[in-house]
Amino acid sequence: MPVKDQKKPAPKPSEAVEVHRKHVEEFLKDEKYKAKPATLNDTSDEAKP
Amino acid sequence: MTYRPTFRKQGDGSRCAWSNCGPASHAMAADRHRKGVDPKTPHGWLPTPSEIRNYMTPNSCGGTNLQQNDAACTHMYLVNMDVRYGVPWTTFRSAIISGRGAVVQILYSKVPARFDGSPGFGGNHAVFVNERRSSDGAYLVYDPLADGRRAGIPKGPQWWPASVLQAAAYAMPGTAAGCVNASFTRDTEV
Repeated sequence: MPVKDQKKPAPKPSEAVEVHRKHVEEFLKDEKYKAKPATLNDTSDEAKP
Repeated sequence: MTYRPTFRKQGDGSRCAWSNCGPASHAMAADRHRKGVDPKTPHGWLPTPSEIRNYMTPNSCGGTNLQQNDAACTHMYLVNMDVRYGVPWTTFRSAIISGRGAVVQILYSKVPARFDGSPGFGGNHAVFVNERRSSDGAYLVYDPLADGRRAGIPKGPQWWPASVLQAAAYAMPGTAAGCVNASFTRDTEV
């Protein structure tokens, strides 16, 4: 799944914001993360008042 | 300083209120995405959970998902978010650090008592994450259930330790191990 497939690890928190920004921009271009997994039930439930 | 949207509670007395975690979280995300600027569409501004709900399911209630809410926000507020599944935690962290907000899906049973906005509820839920604090790595979480409606329930945005947000997001049923499902706003800090 995605963790193994990720080409480049994300930068460490201490790295410059621009490094994080570039990483995220590249990630968002990757089509495989746009597909909803068949097993995922991501519909929210009813909370209790 | 990172723009902070107006907090929206889901328990606002409107139709489907207690199923409106998705619409409430996306109302806050849309506000962040636009940094509070009215898109001048026929819909109200600032965004409200009830208006998003009424657009999505005018005749029914029940839970909603990221795609539904994103489609509604795109139509209503010209806010086209990036919905992604199986996002590695470190990449999620990078997104928040670099200037995006995100709606994150979580399993509420993993939320500890001090952040619990609905004691006894343990199902699927959505929260809006606005920013990360570099000093301790905590995240500013806008939980639509945290409305302070009675003693013991937090009110408004809270700084959740990364471990809390991570555990709750990882536990969302059907999510890839070590990953989260999230809908990201645009980078507002460029």
